[in-house]
Amino acid sequence: MAKLTPKDIDAKIAAGLDESGDWIKVGMSTCGMAAGAGEVFSTLQQEAKKRNLEVRIKKCGCQGMCYAEPLVEVHCAGLPDVVYGRVDKETAIKILEKHISAKTLVNDNIYEVRTRRQA
Amino acid sequence: METDRKIILLADTEQSQQDKLRDFYTSFANQIKDKGLEDSVSLVRASDIGIYGKGFAVKIFPRGIVYTGVNESDIGAIIDASVKGQGTVERLLFSEEPKQIRIVLRNCGVIDPESIDEYIACRGYGALKKILSGMNPAGVIEEMKKSGLRGRGGAGYPTWMKWKFTRESQGDRKYVICNADEGDPGAYMDRSVLEGDPHSVIEGLIIAGYAIGAGMGYMYIRAEYPLAVERVKKAIEQAYECGLLGKNILGTDFSFDIDIRLGAGAFVCGEETALIASIEGKRGTPRPRPPYPSVSGLWGKPTAINNVETLANVPYIILEGGDKFALIGTEKSKGTKVFALTGKVRNSGLVEVPMGITLREIVFDIGGGMLGDKPIKAVQTGGPSGGVIPVDRLDTPVDYENLQKLGSIMGSGGMIVMDESDCIVDIAKFYLGFCVEESCGKCAPCRIGGYQMLNLLNGIAEGSGSLEDLDKLRRLALAMQRASLCALGQTAANPVMSTLRYFEQEYREHIINRKCRSHKCRSLMTYSIIQDKCKRCRVCVINCPVNAIEGDREKGFFIDVSKCVKCGKCFEVCKFQAIAKE
Repeated sequence: MAKLTPKDIDAKIAAGLDESGDWIKVGMSTCGMAAGAGEVFSTLQQEAKKRNLEVRIKKCGCQGMCYAEPLVEVHCAGLPDVVYGRVDKETAIKILEKHISAKTLVNDNIYEVRTRRQA
Repeated sequence: METDRKIILLADTEQSQQDKLRDFYTSFANQIKDKGLEDSVSLVRASDIGIYGKGFAVKIFPRGIVYTGVNESDIGAIIDASVKGQGTVERLLFSEEPKQIRIVLRNCGVIDPESIDEYIACRGYGALKKILSGMNPAGVIEEMKKSGLRGRGGAGYPTWMKWKFTRESQGDRKYVICNADEGDPGAYMDRSVLEGDPHSVIEGLIIAGYAIGAGMGYMYIRAEYPLAVERVKKAIEQAYECGLLGKNILGTDFSFDIDIRLGAGAFVCGEETALIASIEGKRGTPRPRPPYPSVSGLWGKPTAINNVETLANVPYIILEGGDKFALIGTEKSKGTKVFALTGKVRNSGLVEVPMGITLREIVFDIGGGMLGDKPIKAVQTGGPSGGVIPVDRLDTPVDYENLQKLGSIMGSGGMIVMDESDCIVDIAKFYLGFCVEESCGKCAPCRIGGYQMLNLLNGIAEGSGSLEDLDKLRRLALAMQRASLCALGQTAANPVMSTLRYFEQEYREHIINRKCRSHKCRSLMTYSIIQDKCKRCRVCVINCPVNAIEGDREKGFFIDVSKCVKCGKCFEVCKFQAIAKE
C-alpha cells in the first residue's frame, strides 16, 4: 500500500465504512473462536458459495455479548440488522437460507436487532 | 415490497419460560392470521432483546416500538394499534435510554480488525492527522487535561499529568509504553480491544509519543494472548506501509516507531517498573519509586506507560474534544469504563458504561440478573488488588473514589458476581493465593506476609482457626500495605481486608461454629446418610475410597465420621439425594 497523505485520510473518512450490499459479520475474537466462530465462518463461506449467494462474509472483533458467542451479525436489504447468537453450523446454514435468500428472520437465535445506523 | 413488511419480535425477558414463549408465539400468529395480516408480517422469536425481568416483550419493526409485560389478552390491541395502524398502546410502551456508551469499544465488533482501511473509514487516524496538521504537543496535553481521562490500568492517575511530567523531564530520548500485560483473573477488556480494534491503541500510542516527545514506543503484550499479538503485529505492519509509523509521518518531521515485547507469564510485570525491567531484558522485578518512570524509566530515560484502554480513549478525545468527553461520568471520574462482567451473572461479557452507573444497574439491567435467579451476595471488583462489595452497597455509583471508599478499587475492570454458594473465606483465599504465587520475592513484606496470611486463611478454612487469627490477619495486612515495594504487595491483602470488613460474621462462623454456610470449605463439612431416603443400594459403599460407610442392607448404612475424608464422592454418586452435607 502506498503511503497516505492527510488528504487521503480525509477522503477515506469521508467515504465511510463500505457497508453496501448484503453482508454477514462473524465475531472472531478469542471469545468467539473458543465457542466455534472459526467453523461458523468457514461454513458460511462454503455454503454461500455453493448457493451462489451474493453476500460478503466478514470478520469482526468482540461485540461484548460473550455469553452468546459465536455472534453473527447479518445485514440484508429490506430487513433490520440482526445479531444472531449461539450460532452453530446448522444455524449458519439457516441464516443463509432463510435470512439471506428468503428474507425472513431465523427463530430462537436472535440476540439483538437494530435499525440501520445512519453513517 | 419487502420494506413494507413488518417484523415482529417476541422475546421472554424473564428468560425462564421458553415453552410459554412458544405458546405466546402461537397465539400471536393465530391472531395475525385471523386478522388476515399474515402476508404483511413476519413473526420471529428472539432469545434476548436486552431487556430483563419485564415479562413478554414485543418489538415491532421498522418503527422499533417496544412493548413489555404483554399478556395474551393484549395481543389484539397491539396488532390493531401498531401492526394495522400507525399508533401505539401507551400502557405497555417501554422506553429506556441505552445504559451502555461505546467509546473504547466504538469499533469492536464493527470493523474487521485486520483491515486498516476499515479503521480509517471509521475516522481512524483522523486524530493523528489532526494533531500533525496543527496541534502542538502542549495543545494535545491541554486537550487531555480538559477530558479528565484517568489511567484505566487501575490506579487512576490523570493521563495528562503523566504526559506532562514525561514531557518536562530532561532526556535525549524518551519512550512511551503500552501496558497490555493484563493479568487479573476474570479480566479481558484489553484483550478484546487489541483483538477487535488494534489500530485505536496504536493511534493512541503514536499520539502519546507526539505529546511527550518520544520517538519510540513499545507494546508490552502478555504472551498468553496469541491472537491479540498476531493482530497487533499485522496492524503495526499496515501502519508502516501506510506511512503512519516510521520516518516523517504524513509528510511531517515527526517520526515514530513501535515494537512489540512479549510478557513471559509473570503477573508482576504489569507493574510499571517491573515491566520496564522486563523490556530491558532483565528479570521482571519492581524497584522502589521515586524516581518515577516519567523521570527515569526505560534505559534510564523519561518514559510514559499507559494502559490499553487509556490509549484507546485518546483518539476519541482528540477528535471530539476533551470537553465532550468530560460530559460523561462523575465529577472526578470522566468518561466510560469497560468491565469484564463474569461470575454468577446471566449475561457474562464486556460492558462499557459511563462512570457513575451503579453496580446494580450493571448486574441487573445490562447483565440480565443472576444465573438461576439466586440472590446476589457480593460483587468483586479490581481483581487480586481489589475487594468484595456486599449486596447492600450495590447502589453506590461506580467511580474511582467510591470504590476506594468501599475498600475495593476500580482496577483494570474485572467484575465478578457472586451468589450465596460462594464462600467468602474461599474467595479471599483464592485471591491471596494468586498474589502469593505471583509475588516476585524481592521484598519481605510481600513474600513472607502473603504466605503467612494464606496459612492463617487455610487454617480458618480447615477448621483449625482461632479468633486471634483475625487480628493477626489485620496486622499482617497493614504491614504488607505499608512496607511492600510495589502495588502487588501493597494491595495483595485488599481482598482479605474487604471481606473481613463486610463479612466478618462468616469468618467467625468458620472459626467458632466450624461451619461453612456455602458448603465450599471441604474440611468443615460432615456427611451423613438420610435413612428415610436411602434405598440401600450400596452405591455409596462401593464408591467410598476409604471404606468409611458401614452397615448392611437390613440395618441400613452409616458414615463413620472418624474414617471419612470428606471427599464428597458419596454425595455425587447417590441417585436418591440420601446423603446430607452440612
